[in-house]
Amino acid sequence: MSELDRYANSTVDWRKTLRTNNRRTFFVIAVFFAIYFLLGLLVDTYLASMHYPQAPVSQIFSALITLHIFPIATLVMLAVAAISLLVTFTLHDKLMLLGTEYREITPETAQTLLEKQLYNCVEEMKIAAGLHYMPRVFLIEADYMNAFASGYSEKSAMVAITRGLAEKLNRSELTAVMAHELSHIRHMDIKLTLMASVLANLMLMVLDIFFYSALFSRRSNGDDRSRNGLVAIIILLRYLLPVINILLLLYLSRTREYMADAGSVELLRDNQPLAQALLKIQNDHDNNQAQYRDAYQQTPHENVRREAYIFDPVQAGIEPMTSLADAFSTHPNLKDRLAAIGFKLK
Amino acid sequence: MAMIIIVVLLLLIGGYIVMTYNTLIAQIEATRNNQKQIDIQLDRRFKVFESLINVVKKYMDYEKTTLKDVVALRNQAQQAKSQGDEKARIAAENKISDIASNINVVFEQYPDLKANQNCMQLQEEIVSTENKLAYAKQSYNDSVETYSATKKSFFTAMVVSLFRTKLDMDFLYWQLTQDKIAAQEDYTVKL
Repeated sequence: MSELDRYANSTVDWRKTLRTNNRRTFFVIAVFFAIYFLLGLLVDTYLASMHYPQAPVSQIFSALITLHIFPIATLVMLAVAAISLLVTFTLHDKLMLLGTEYREITPETAQTLLEKQLYNCVEEMKIAAGLHYMPRVFLIEADYMNAFASGYSEKSAMVAITRGLAEKLNRSELTAVMAHELSHIRHMDIKLTLMASVLANLMLMVLDIFFYSALFSRRSNGDDRSRNGLVAIIILLRYLLPVINILLLLYLSRTREYMADAGSVELLRDNQPLAQALLKIQNDHDNNQAQYRDAYQQTPHENVRREAYIFDPVQAGIEPMTSLADAFSTHPNLKDRLAAIGFKLK
Repeated sequence: MAMIIIVVLLLLIGGYIVMTYNTLIAQIEATRNNQKQIDIQLDRRFKVFESLINVVKKYMDYEKTTLKDVVALRNQAQQAKSQGDEKARIAAENKISDIASNINVVFEQYPDLKANQNCMQLQEEIVSTENKLAYAKQSYNDSVETYSATKKSFFTAMVVSLFRTKLDMDFLYWQLTQDKIAAQEDYTVKL
């Protein structure tokens, strides 16, 4: 409570928060699809320009758009994307718990009051959210405080929380965290972020293959003007697109976090429990930084869960930076999250 | 050309009407389902509390009588020991073991059934049951809100007027009566 006193409470229209973030998500996904199809068309244009070396690029391009030339590369990319999405979706819940020591909680297997309470909290939120299926509940044996939700549909949904979280939060805070996780399920965030990241990775793969093949084939005949122009675009994209991808993915995942926070307030009709829970989690990570760093690092495949966690460990200075994406947090910082649910720093 | 434009327009309008119709039907059914969810939770509350009270009563009785039994048998055993009657003592001790194993069975049925834990579990179950009921009501009201807002919004309202009997439902928000609200407002905890 004392920590929360530093913030001024105000009311926030969670309906509006949900609406704006919905719009943002739509924008991000539209941009992704646009880039995807443009890249496909670019590959097709390049392939076609090998067939018709004399034709100018603009003519080939318009022929592709009007389907006079069959856009084979675009369709192949689409098919590969569909297959990889299917595989990711089917394996996802197994993937998410990879490397952790976990136990499923059901009314029958709940051994302690704590586990019973955890299950009850999830069930209450399930009713409040009007979900038709009870998500599976997993308890991860770890000291650090974190939780995540997964599943590509309501039916296959699951929530997992660490023992540290279940023990250190009180009942209403625990319910708020569960509401946040169930909001992820309700808003189909897992599906969305997975789809976006599969599309993004595929784009980069295609671009890479394309980049090298263009580099090597260029040496054979260098006097082809239309293809030279295309190669320049490819080289530019090769360095620009990964950055755009990361920024889009981060924007998407942050937007979804705000939405889940708003969803939690929507279900509880109270913003205080979530704010308290978030502050507790942050402080706990700050206080036990060294210990948790070891715990996170000793758990294999931690990066799979990073986006799904309610709290990004990177924000507490935990986890080494291994790639460009790690330089930015997948979550908005705590101050902004609290402000979005109505707690402004005094 | 004009013909094609008219046909396309008609198709678009028809498609919009069908989609709106289906959306509204889905919302109506969701609202009905959520309405029934309140009944389900009311029913659940009754049954849970009934069985909880029974379990606790039974357990409390059991604990009381067992304690008495154990004390009595213990006394018998002590007495037998002081009198040197080994046979009577073994019989009494064996009976205590029987009771202990019976208690274990009860323990297995209700994990962590200690006196304090017992109360906490009871409390958790009551809180959770009441919460579930409250959230069911909230969820119902949410679906009424979604449905009513869609129904009354522009364009949709025009579709609704075409199929009044099917699409125009009047769901009431779950609420307390005025008297009840006044009574609840005056309520404070008296310690």
